[in-house]
Amino acid sequence: MIDIDTLLFVIVNRGKANAILKKAQELGAASGTIFLGEGTVQSKLLEAIGLTETHKEILMISSSRDLCSQLHALLNKEFMLSKRNQGIAFSIPFTQWQPGRKLDEEALDNLNPSHYCIITIVDKGRGKACIKAARAAGARGGTLIHGRGAGIPTDFYFPLVIEPQKEILLVVSAKEKVAAIQNKIFTDLELGKPGHGILFTLPVTQTTGLYENRAEESKGAVL
Amino acid sequence: MNLVYEKFKEVAQTLLPVVILVMILCFTIVDVDTSVIVRFLIGSVMLLIGLSVFLWGVDLAMNPIGEHMSHEIATSRSIYKIGILSFLLGFLVTVAEPDLLVLGQQIQAASGGTVSASLIVYVISFGVGIMISLGIFRLLRDRPLNIFMAITYSIIIGLGVFVSEEFFAISFDASGATTGALTTPFVLAISLGLSTVKGGRKSEENSFGLVGIMSAGPILAVMLMSIISGQKHIQGTAEAWAPAQGVLGPILSALPAIFLESIVALAPIAILFFIFNFAKFKLAKDEMVQVLKGLSFTLLGLTLFLTAVNSGFMDMGRIIGMELAAMSPWLLIGIAFMMGLIVVLVEPAVHVLGQQIEEVTSGHIPVKLIRMTLSIAVGTAIALSMVRIVVPAVKLWYFVIPGFVIAILLSLRSDPVFVGIAYDAGGVASGPMAATFVLAFAQGAAAVIPTANVLVDGFGVIAMIATAPVLSINLLGTIFRHKKVEYPELEKKEKVPTSHLLEERDMLHKCIIAVVDRGFAEKAIEVAREAGASGATILRGRGTDEHQKVKLPIINIELQPEKEIVLFVTREQVSGAIANSLLSNEQLAGDGKIKVFISPTEAMAETFVVPKQMESEPDPAPAETE
Repeated sequence: MIDIDTLLFVIVNRGKANAILKKAQELGAASGTIFLGEGTVQSKLLEAIGLTETHKEILMISSSRDLCSQLHALLNKEFMLSKRNQGIAFSIPFTQWQPGRKLDEEALDNLNPSHYCIITIVDKGRGKACIKAARAAGARGGTLIHGRGAGIPTDFYFPLVIEPQKEILLVVSAKEKVAAIQNKIFTDLELGKPGHGILFTLPVTQTTGLYENRAEESKGAVL
Repeated sequence: MNLVYEKFKEVAQTLLPVVILVMILCFTIVDVDTSVIVRFLIGSVMLLIGLSVFLWGVDLAMNPIGEHMSHEIATSRSIYKIGILSFLLGFLVTVAEPDLLVLGQQIQAASGGTVSASLIVYVISFGVGIMISLGIFRLLRDRPLNIFMAITYSIIIGLGVFVSEEFFAISFDASGATTGALTTPFVLAISLGLSTVKGGRKSEENSFGLVGIMSAGPILAVMLMSIISGQKHIQGTAEAWAPAQGVLGPILSALPAIFLESIVALAPIAILFFIFNFAKFKLAKDEMVQVLKGLSFTLLGLTLFLTAVNSGFMDMGRIIGMELAAMSPWLLIGIAFMMGLIVVLVEPAVHVLGQQIEEVTSGHIPVKLIRMTLSIAVGTAIALSMVRIVVPAVKLWYFVIPGFVIAILLSLRSDPVFVGIAYDAGGVASGPMAATFVLAFAQGAAAVIPTANVLVDGFGVIAMIATAPVLSINLLGTIFRHKKVEYPELEKKEKVPTSHLLEERDMLHKCIIAVVDRGFAEKAIEVAREAGASGATILRGRGTDEHQKVKLPIINIELQPEKEIVLFVTREQVSGAIANSLLSNEQLAGDGKIKVFISPTEAMAETFVVPKQMESEPDPAPAETE
């Protein structure tokens, strides 16, 4: 189990990430990165008046395994993430790369993740359709992040590079539903066609605050 | 429910201090009629609802409209088309502004009818159109904003010497009138849209400044008009004032007129959008519905807000001003300062600007800090205006001209993002709250003090409010720059060969996340491509790092360095090579402080060249892939 660290992702309302990061650093986390995203609301009433977005912050902390469990416990206790609508946290096994480092393939076999994080990258404007597709296949919600693709410079009258705007959708879902959601997004958004976007999944080893399996979280189950 | 609650909370937080201050005054030193107090309280509730609804509307409608419009502008290849389109945008939005017509009528009355009101409106709108199109050219061509504004304001200061004090004040008031509640969010959205479409390293600083450029248009136009027509002095006096009677009567009677005004102000933006949507964008039905909802919210919110401010707040401001001025000049100046501190935060555009700052810099520039600076600046500005009303020997240009000269000098040394924010803030701070509540307060004070001229001194307040933020935020930017971690310039990028698409399917993939300091993402992609990566996606964020921690003294706000996160999905075979080459690149490792993370398990990846058969074949479970 040596070489596996994790990246802990915490998705909370805007303005909360700093406080969490501060606490995490007291526990020994080295550094964190925060970016802004949009959460989704599922409510007929709010949809009717056009309020389908909530502002979220996504906090990414790299940590060792042990630290990660501690952080989950902290989030659970201090920030009440296990309660509904307080935000979610999940960890994805990642290795912080150093030159010449080798991946420990064996350790990976033992991971046996309970959840997967499905990441879809599409052109700007299609993120909403992605969420719809994911919902139709049983996902609970998703987080949209705005990013840009590494564009190929196009010559205009001005020395103008049009940067392709992208939307990145994160959906965390239980193992059983992953295939269905993936397929639904893939077919609905025609990702098979070149240039329509990509989709990939990452294993999630530990979650906090995911509503679909609260009973498990309250025990603080790992893996 | 989140967003509704958040918006209400945000507005309530800024409105509450104003209500408390006014109530304290009413129950202690100032004697106000009960009906005015009740009207003020009703107005506050209306303002709370109106402003919150308005801000949603802006989120839903203005932002997408601005985005689509700016995309249209930026991607049109002809220089004429860009010029004409942006001129039209500026002209139409301004011509419909209700405040401007009121100003025009005032000038017409004051000049004894030699200059007609509609002429004034057209001249000013023309000025705005020209400035907007110049501003958009500047943005697309990446010319530095600080130089552009330095030239513009030097011309203004130069012209300012030739015009009378009255017209000096009126020209600034004209700029305050054009940057109304509706135009400012719209122009901010255009500017944001343009800079994101354009991209590049300067996209962040390009997101601001267009409002500032636009608000210079009316100043230039009015000054030139005064010089050309030879109009020097205003003969008229402000119309006689009597407080409205009753509680609900004034509110209800103001409502229809303001509703019409709001429709007229919103019309050009909406019509322009519908024409373009019909001809060009062809938005999907969902999106269209969103925009329509947003437009109705904007209209509803704006009407409520303006009615509340006009009928609930104006009389109150006037009475407080009169009573305080009669009591003691020191009290007047002190209360004016406190009023400025809190009133500016209720301006709708201040909220919009704050949100935009947060979006664009990913929270790197604390919005709190900008608000604090604005508060202090406007408080000082209003207090100084009161000094000017009390002491007639103190002229308006004593403050405004040195203010701008210092601001220009500072802007040459200030952080580029702040220069844009600073000039925008000038237009943003002189919004409807300043034009009604604060103006009425100043006019009330001027009416009591025999040496003051109600009309001229009233205009002067707006000029002061427009100047102070430019100065103070440029100052903040200068401090920020010295505190901030410097980002080294990137070396000239060589042409990157077009990415080779992945050909194999059923490949094992890895996900690589690289975190670098701002500005190094392009470099990282270049390095990764040489090592065999294909596409990449860049996210913008902020981070913390022990070595890069910077704290502002006294107010204890931490500045977090900006980061870029690059996301690669690569084939397994090359992932190690990519990671190694990313880390071994000296520039990235040294200056970019790169961190590379690799997901060690196979990511089930469907890259975009996967053929059709994928659909028929269910995804293999992860265990089987290995």
